[in-house]
Amino acid sequence: MNDEHIRERFETLILPLMNDAYNLARWLMRNSQDAEDMVQESYFRAFKFFGSFREGTNARAWLLRIVRNTCYTALAGEERKGREVPLEEEANEIQDASPLPPVILTRKATIEAVRAAIAELDTDFREAIVLRELEGLSYKEISEVTEVPIGTVMSRLSRGRDQLALLLSARKKSDQL
Amino acid sequence: MNCQECRDYIDPYFDSELGTADAIRVRQHLRDCPECRERLQSREALRGLLGDPQLKYEIPGTLREKLASRFRPPATSLRKRFERKYTARWLFIPMALAAGITLLFGLVFLNKNGRFEHLNAPSLVDEVVADHVRSMLATHLLDVPSTDQHTVKPWFDGKLKFAPPVQDFADHGFRLIGGRLDYLNGQEVAAVVYQKNKHIINLFLWPAESNGNGSPRSFSRNGYNIIHWNHDGFDWWAVSDVSAADLAAFAGLQRQ
Repeated sequence: MNDEHIRERFETLILPLMNDAYNLARWLMRNSQDAEDMVQESYFRAFKFFGSFREGTNARAWLLRIVRNTCYTALAGEERKGREVPLEEEANEIQDASPLPPVILTRKATIEAVRAAIAELDTDFREAIVLRELEGLSYKEISEVTEVPIGTVMSRLSRGRDQLALLLSARKKSDQL
Repeated sequence: MNCQECRDYIDPYFDSELGTADAIRVRQHLRDCPECRERLQSREALRGLLGDPQLKYEIPGTLREKLASRFRPPATSLRKRFERKYTARWLFIPMALAAGITLLFGLVFLNKNGRFEHLNAPSLVDEVVADHVRSMLATHLLDVPSTDQHTVKPWFDGKLKFAPPVQDFADHGFRLIGGRLDYLNGQEVAAVVYQKNKHIINLFLWPAESNGNGSPRSFSRNGYNIIHWNHDGFDWWAVSDVSAADLAAFAGLQRQ
């Protein structure tokens, strides 16, 4: 594969997945600035490794695995430095045009409450839920991205959903949902 | 299958990741076990909340641009690709222009004849279904809970720019249970809510752009039936998990 050909394939297969990459990074890093850095870093890495990308490989799982590894490497480094990862105020993230009818406000509130509940999940559960429910990945793909057996994916999803249902029903009781 | 086994299998079952034989065993157990059924229902409710596409974080436009310009092949190579493909450019361009113009006229013609309505419709159908599902979950189904059409109708009058017709059809099995303001198709709309046995029907309506009197069109999405018609100066959309026949009967009553 010559350089131009690699670029073309990268453009068709990997570049369109930017949004998925950002979404995963945003959920793992839990703030947008770090997520942006991770996506850039991941794309540079992906481009570097792309020569070894084999025909027939699932491009999304391949890229998301790189994103995940990039995020975890950064998070591990931060832990060593003992830096607190700042959590962002979710409210600023949903852009909208005002004025909004009441039902849209309700929807916005619901989205924020659900996002906050997902953010509270343990990391293993959070990434499984995000990959399954927000990215629509199959168990096999999740197992590729997170590098654990399918059985583990299954039990993480199951326990993650239990945990999330609890968090959401607690919010419902306190009228945030 | 016992409940413990079913608990282990319920998520792969729910995610359609289970082999046929196991899926059948789970289904059999679910039929006999209300507790496990409840567990499945809570999974469905959860997915309803997680299904909102806005939950996903959107990549900031600046970063998108940055990555695109960094990794997209330079323009010269694009031109080279183009030239490789179409060496006879002097012939290709007028041909493409001619084809484009023909296509454009064709599209305008088809659109005039309403041929594309079914192509435009699905996104609105999906929006209608999403609104229905959302109304059934956590948020709120009713702003004005009332079985009295003389309460529901005036309630809308103060809140919308139009006065939606509200009728009760309890004697036909479709009981009016209230109304709600909703947002569909880029505007505020009236949602009139009915109940048939245990099933909820959301009836969305707003002033029609054209004053046609088209016959109803039916759709189905993920187990929901949808029916749309245009009548009395309004666009009407009914959505529910009742059978298509029941929904058609309901539409028939509304159209009288």
